[in-house]
Parts: sequence; C-alpha cells; structure tokens
Amino acid sequence: MNNPSILAKEFMNNGFSLNCPIIDVHGHLGPYVGIYMPSSNINLMIRTLKRCNVRCIICVPHATIIDPQGGNELMQKTIDKYKGMFLGYWMINPNRRDLIEKDLQNFEKTRGFVGFKFLADYHTYPITGKNYIPALEYANEKKLMILIHTWGGSQFDSPKMLGSIAEKYTNINFVMGHSGFGDWETSVKLAKELPNVYLELTAVWASHDFSMQVKGSGSPVPFLSFLHVNGIIEYIVERAGSKKILFGTDLPWYSPHYAAGAILFSHISDEERHDIFHRNAERLLSKFL
Amino acid sequence: MKFFDCNCYFGHVGLPAFRYASNSDELVNELDFCGTDKALVYHSSMRFDSPIVGNKVILEEVKNKPNLIPTWAVLPFQTNELARTGDEFLEEMKRNNIKALRAFPDEHRYFLNELTFGELFELMEDKSIPLLIRSNWEAASNLLKSFKKLIIVVTSHGPHPQDRYFRPLLEKYENLYIDTSSYLLDRGIESLVEIFGYKRILFGSGYPENYIGSSLLRVAQAEIDEDAKKAIAYDNLDSLIRGVKL
Repeated sequence: MNNPSILAKEFMNNGFSLNCPIIDVHGHLGPYVGIYMPSSNINLMIRTLKRCNVRCIICVPHATIIDPQGGNELMQKTIDKYKGMFLGYWMINPNRRDLIEKDLQNFEKTRGFVGFKFLADYHTYPITGKNYIPALEYANEKKLMILIHTWGGSQFDSPKMLGSIAEKYTNINFVMGHSGFGDWETSVKLAKELPNVYLELTAVWASHDFSMQVKGSGSPVPFLSFLHVNGIIEYIVERAGSKKILFGTDLPWYSPHYAAGAILFSHISDEERHDIFHRNAERLLSKFL
Repeated sequence: MKFFDCNCYFGHVGLPAFRYASNSDELVNELDFCGTDKALVYHSSMRFDSPIVGNKVILEEVKNKPNLIPTWAVLPFQTNELARTGDEFLEEMKRNNIKALRAFPDEHRYFLNELTFGELFELMEDKSIPLLIRSNWEAASNLLKSFKKLIIVVTSHGPHPQDRYFRPLLEKYENLYIDTSSYLLDRGIESLVEIFGYKRILFGSGYPENYIGSSLLRVAQAEIDEDAKKAIAYDNLDSLIRGVKL
C-alpha cells in the first residue's frame, strides 16, 4: 500500500484510530420499510460504533417518517439511556401541522436534540413550503442545526431550494444530507459561499444506479442516479474546503468502515480527514459533546 | 492481507468519475496506492462502447501486467459480432488466456437467458468458467433457474441493500456468488457469513464507480474469522480462476 496516510494504516490495521474519533451526524434507529438491516438491533449498532471509534452519532428513528410523535419519543429514550453516544434530530413532518406547533412549544424541554430533521423527499413536501416555516423560524431564533435530506433534481429538497432557505435563515446551521447527491456543483458552491451550509457525506461515496434495482429507489419519488463517484471526496474538499464537510453513514444502513474507507483512500491529507471525521462536528456541537 | 479485486475497470467513459484510470498503467498505480494485489479487470469500451472493440483493447492493455487478469464481455452469437458458436468463442478465450466472462445486459440490450445464451452457458458450466453479471436480481434469478452449475457472480448490486431479494437465491442456488463492491449494509458481510458461509463472497471494489478503499476497509475489518476474511479478500476468487478448465 503506497497510501502515505497514517490514519489509513491505523484503520486498516485496527479498524479505528484513537487519535481520530468519528462523529457521525447522520444516523437512524430501528428497522426500515424497504431494507433488511442487521444493525436495526441497537446492541449490534452500538457494537459497530465501538469498533470504528465513533464517539457520537446523531440520529432520527425511521419510525418518525410515519409517526413523528412515537419516533421522537423513541429517540429521547435512546439519548437518555446511552448518554453521550447518541444525540438526536427532532423530526418535523410538514404534513402533520397539528403536531408541529406542539413540537416547537416543547422542544426546549427535550434533552440531547441538536435541532430538526427535514425529510422532504419522503414526506413529498417542499422544504420551501409554508408548513416548514414555523420550524425554520424557531430554529433560526434558537440557533439550531437542521439536517435536511437533499438530492439533486428533487422537486422537494434540491440543493438550489436549500440555498434559498439558507440565505434567509442565517442563524441555522444547515447540514445538507447526502450533499445534494448528483448536483455536486450547486452543493459545493453553496457550502463555499454560505457560512451556515455544510455538506454531509452519507451515500456520497457510493455509486447510485437505481436502474439496477427492482422497482428503482423504492422511495416515494424516484431518486436521481449517479454512476461514478470515485474522486468525489477530492472534488468537494478542493472546492468547498474540508472545514465544510461532515461525516455520516445513515447507520444502521451503511457500514462506517465502508464510508471511512472512501475518505481514507481518497487523495487528500490527514489534516483534511481529521476535519471531516470529527473536528468540524466538534466545533458545531461543542455544547452537546 | 492480500486482495484480489473481481470488479474494476479502466478506460474512458462519456461521463467519467472525478478521478479514474484512463489506462492500465494508471490502474496499477491506484491498485498500489490502495494495496490491492491483483484485479480481474475489464476495459470501459467493453461495456460502454462495444465488446467488439473492448475485448481486443483489454488484451493489449494488460500485456506485461501480471497482476491484471483480463476478462471479456459476451454478446449473443445470433448477431455474429464476437463469434458464430460457443466452441469458436471458447477457442478464442483459450488462445488469449481469458478465464472469466462478463455480461452487461442493460447496456448491450439483450435478454440474459437460456434462449439467448444456452449454448455458451452450457459450455461454461462444463468448463467452470465464471460469469460476472451486472444486472438486477430479477434477471439473475431467471438465469439461476436455468443454469444450476454456471458460476454466476452478481456484481454492483447496490446501493440500497437488497438482501430480501438475494438471500433466498443464495439459499437455493449454490452456484450464486456476490461481490462486495456495493454491499454497503452495516454488518451485512458478518450476517451473510454466519448464515451462508464465506465461500461465495468475493472482494470487489467497483472502481471507478466506487472508491477501492471503501470495500477494502470493509472487508479488512469485517467481524469474521481471519480465514473467512482472507478467503473473501483473495482466495475465493483465486480458486474460481484456478478452477477454470479451458
């Protein structure tokens, strides 16, 4: 192996680096409708986290997609039970306006929630729509973080749409889940130009060819495919800068080792890898860690 | 640990990766960077141009590169593009030391079935020649029903984990193999090894669709026995190639 990275050698030999913990800003909990996941068993998920030296993961349970109330309660229980290892995003379902007002009234009473999650492609409601406004205004006032699933070409959460709300709500740190997969040019431009926009790497390191999958992406709206991702880490680091990139896995979907391998064997420096794996998240989440 | 990659290619494509190997020298450099010892490779023109072109290009490119093992892509004999008969095709394979074939039914627009490939696949069964296919599980399932002894390696079966499709096939068909290139599922390899054993899992990177390092680190750090890990990383594919009776 000619890769000069000390971190790559440590991960290959040990599975982790003591000097480079991981903070995963994009996780879930529990089983999921369309995919078998061994790590939906939380004990196995924790085993994975420990094997990779993941210091902390910020999650939103799959259950929140159809039942935000029940799912958010599960997240609270998990945060309380596994103190320090789990933080949460409070899922906002824009189709449940009856719940949003109550959510916002009670948010300050919650423990370990860093902000909100918007999953607009799955709720088939645009992030620029009026039902999201109360949550955006609240998050802006309280200076919260919002993880938004973003995907290139989406009519609900495209990078361009994210840009329009990020410019308006400047106190919110917007984490672009999947870095606007496929529309890389718009995404890196936003992350470079807007101080409150961060690129999150879940699935970015994996080729997506939904034509290979029976019934496509299986999501409520078809997702854009993008075949060749080798070099995407270098592209993002070069254009947006390593300080605007956060590590994520969708765990229990994807293996942190699979995700980390892309970063460790990309042609960037170990300093940039430290930024991505933990330093940027440590800076953003300092009051929670 | 040694790695033998069953799924990687080099050469230009219309919409290329941000970084890729345009020729075999660059691929060897990237393999060295990652610590991959050997690779069962194809050339982009075999998939994205035509096997008529690519099956020749690959032979020139891998000359004097002992760690790059060439493969060929198949087309139906009925169009007479590569050969007229299975015997003729296998003779050409033998002459050029080709030990495995690939099928890209979506790009090349054919049915991957007994009607189209019966003659060739029966010969491949007889000679233990592996067929690496890049297609969805419906097509793989149909093929498996017809050819119980054909060594079928399904590659790039991702990105969303599709275990509910392929685990019943793994259970029923002992001639089905899968590669790790797009098997992103956390604890997926561990679970497969526990239920089906390790002999039908092959290390594949999917380069340059994916990073070599992803699958490499995933396999290196799988929570399985060292023997199983070594087999997945290298030995399973090595055994398949050594087992070819051409």
